[in-house]
Amino acid sequence: MSGLIPLTVRELKKWYRSPVFFFVGLIQPFFWIGLFGSAFSGGGGAFGSIALDNAKNYITFVIAGVLTTTALFTGMFSGINIIWDRRLGTLSRLLASPISRSSIVFSKVISSIARIMVQVVILIAAALVIPNGLEFANGFTLFSAFVIVSATLMIAFIFSSLFSLIAVKMRNMQTIFGISNLVSLPLMFASFALFPKAFMAGWLESVAVWNPVSWSAEAMRNVIINGSAISSSLMYSTLGYLFYLAILTLAVLVLTYYVTEKEIRE
Amino acid sequence: MSIIEVKNLTKIYPGGVKAVDGISFSVEKNEIYGLLGPNGAGKTTTIKMLTSSLKPTEGTAIVNGKDIIKDSLAVRKTIGIVPQDLTADEDLTGFENMYMFAQFYDLSRAEALKQIDKLLDLLELTEAKDRYVKGYSGGMRKRLELGIGLLHNPEILFLDEPTLGLDVQTRTRMWEYIKNIVKAMGVTIILTSHYLEEIDALADRMSIIDKGKIIITGTSEELKGSLKGDIISIICNSQEQAQALSSYPDGIEPPVLKDSEVRLSVENSDKDLAKIFKFMIERKVTPLTINVHKPSLDQVFIKYTGRTIKEAEGGEDARKTAMNLRRLRA
Ligand SMILES: Nc1ncnc2c1ncn2[C@@H]1O[C@H](COP(=O)(O)OP(=O)(O)OP(=O)(O)O)[C@@H](O)[C@H]1O
Ligand SMILES: [Mg+2]
Repeated sequence: MSGLIPLTVRELKKWYRSPVFFFVGLIQPFFWIGLFGSAFSGGGGAFGSIALDNAKNYITFVIAGVLTTTALFTGMFSGINIIWDRRLGTLSRLLASPISRSSIVFSKVISSIARIMVQVVILIAAALVIPNGLEFANGFTLFSAFVIVSATLMIAFIFSSLFSLIAVKMRNMQTIFGISNLVSLPLMFASFALFPKAFMAGWLESVAVWNPVSWSAEAMRNVIINGSAISSSLMYSTLGYLFYLAILTLAVLVLTYYVTEKEIRE
Repeated sequence: MSIIEVKNLTKIYPGGVKAVDGISFSVEKNEIYGLLGPNGAGKTTTIKMLTSSLKPTEGTAIVNGKDIIKDSLAVRKTIGIVPQDLTADEDLTGFENMYMFAQFYDLSRAEALKQIDKLLDLLELTEAKDRYVKGYSGGMRKRLELGIGLLHNPEILFLDEPTLGLDVQTRTRMWEYIKNIVKAMGVTIILTSHYLEEIDALADRMSIIDKGKIIITGTSEELKGSLKGDIISIICNSQEQAQALSSYPDGIEPPVLKDSEVRLSVENSDKDLAKIFKFMIERKVTPLTINVHKPSLDQVFIKYTGRTIKEAEGGEDARKTAMNLRRLRA
């Protein structure tokens, strides 16, 4: 895929050179933590803990969901950047050079994933240091690390690619924002990202089961809460979620490749 | 064989705008070929089709031996493009922009750096190379675009309105850069412009294009030669005198009388002026002003379209320039 590396380098440079964009990206995770941490600080106690899948506190419960929704919202920007390139004429010049079409989109996706990974690291660090914050009560294993990293990577890839695809097909900023909002809010709320299953209406739960945001959040939550004490059934369900995510990742990869190779227009 | 062979190229945009209407022309190796036409004539659309970024509705073209539709990737490898818009990334330096594009072609790192150095030097951008493009002037940006288009030593360079939005001085300097590049690199150039002087100054051969159609093709001399002779316009002291002058018998076309102005068409103003003076003295005509119009591309445009190129543009030129400037500043 010629052009992928130089284009990705360009995206990353633009990112760390744009102070506002850079710092907003860094600060955003703290907002999430602050928002959810204080909104649900009443948690804890025996009942609360059971409702929170045995998490010590709400932050420990919700961190997996916050990581996932961070990927969702940062992923939206990878589409916006394609629109900018189109508006400024950069896209048309790229299309007239002998690079593969999809490298234009995948460079945005990769840099978006890089942004997300940085946010994830900061978010976890922040959650660890705040009072009544994230606690790995049962330890942190290699398996935990593997699950968290692979789930974040896949969910980041899935959303960054899907939002880029919208931008490949749509011309208008407003349309993109509209569609992005339309899909991102239901994705966030019709999932197990932020609320325990116990609090969910039955119909919503049956929808949330199909939501990749749930898969990622649940997989990470399982290892964060249970650490080395994870039961084999929970381990299998965690691996199951990763498997679904992997299938979806592959499907999105193929779709993104074909749609951009065939359909991208200046 | 010609390096570019365009056959019946047509583009109808979705929505029905026929931007390019069955044009055909050919370009020889190492010449500068001009496409001259007012705003909306279809120049950019033609360039986009020839550079394989836009699919023709009908017809095709062979660029450097390759079909633009069937073999678009091969076409893209051997051509360079300087688009009408400023496309360099403002958040990168001039060098970074060039280096990124250099990597799109099969150049080794050493070759790329050497080529970038050479072009920066040719375009006098060496000093500014590590500055962000945001801080470049309009002329510097256009030069950078030119440099980007030349990174891989293309056989053919497409220049779409290389001086749009530049002031007159910067424009003439840009012409020098373009001429130097032709000398230094031996590249065939397709140049579009709606500035008559630009095409006149740079192009070896040209086509005048209007409303998607080529109206005439040739060298500047040939086109001007197709206008018979020069026009001498004389404003006289009174209408009676003008009347008297308009009986001048030696014009190649009947004199045109308008109020106290007379327009005489003559074979060659250098020779005929003396005769006209003699005639005026005999008829006691006292001229206020005398203007000699040698044939110009503007007159060629008038002859074939019935309007001047400025009229053809309406207010659009000024609007576009303003838009471009705003983009530069934003
Ligand atoms: N994407 C498009 N969709 C529909 N119509 C278009 C599109 N691009 C250009 N046109 C129309 O096609 C015609 C030719 O446009 P084009 O940009 O090729 O002209 P041009 O000669 O390059 O003009 P200019 O000097 O303003 O750059 C115009 O009438 C324009 O409005
Ligand atoms: Mg144009």
